[in-house]
Amino acid sequence: MIKVFDSAKGPVIKGYQICLRPVVESDLATLQAWRNSDAVRQQMLSTELVSSEQQQAWFNKIQRDDSQRHWVVEYKDQAIGATNIKARFHGETVEHATVLEPGLYIGHPDYQGNIIAFAPTLALYDYCFSHLSVETFFAVVKAENRAALKYNQQLGYEVIKNAELIDLNLQKEEFERHTALLRRLLSRPSSKNR
Amino acid sequence: MDNNEKLKQVFCQALGIEADQVTDSLTYNTIEEWDSTAHMILVAELEDTFDVMLDTDDIIDMSTVGKAKEILAKYEVQF
Repeated sequence: MIKVFDSAKGPVIKGYQICLRPVVESDLATLQAWRNSDAVRQQMLSTELVSSEQQQAWFNKIQRDDSQRHWVVEYKDQAIGATNIKARFHGETVEHATVLEPGLYIGHPDYQGNIIAFAPTLALYDYCFSHLSVETFFAVVKAENRAALKYNQQLGYEVIKNAELIDLNLQKEEFERHTALLRRLLSRPSSKNR
Repeated sequence: MDNNEKLKQVFCQALGIEADQVTDSLTYNTIEEWDSTAHMILVAELEDTFDVMLDTDDIIDMSTVGKAKEILAKYEVQF
């Protein structure tokens, strides 16, 4: 379902009509604008605005941090969002961690609230379950963020702690069972590929 | 039953909503009933009803009732 290509900056993952490519420095202005937009920022655990200096410092940090990886989501050769994984426990690398925390936002307004938002997660999780050591994804969403909670539950996540912040867990079998139909629909031929 | 009525009936059945909710501006993910699961059921029912096979770009683009009509028109379904 997915194809993985090595690049100088890390793996490029293609599948379900989208491409995940590692974040590069020239993405920073776009990522900052998206991250600071009301639609994205209000759903984040930290809602503070990010400055250009903070964005650059973040980029410098992730270049040398093996505990996290970040990709830009492209659809039809256009950047529409960003996704990432982080090792859940201190000192682990994403390659060896058995628990990963994912992150995703769709920054392009034309694709917010669109079913394409499932594609980067399908591609990323397929990659993680097939190429990395992860056994469980762990997600945290704000209780008031019903859209994110529902999104995660449609992927197969189960609530393990229900409080102001909701903790959720996902194993490979549940993920594959819950997303079987969705992955079939998003794997159909695209008109541009015909 | 004309194609407009068929389309409205498919939306009602797939999303479990009332006919008066089915307007051209009704948008994916703006009502509880039209989530990704319902979207998949909707695609399957549209394909059965109008005897078409949508490609993935169309499944992704079909974010409103009006857009569904535009997409089906590409498959020679007249509204």
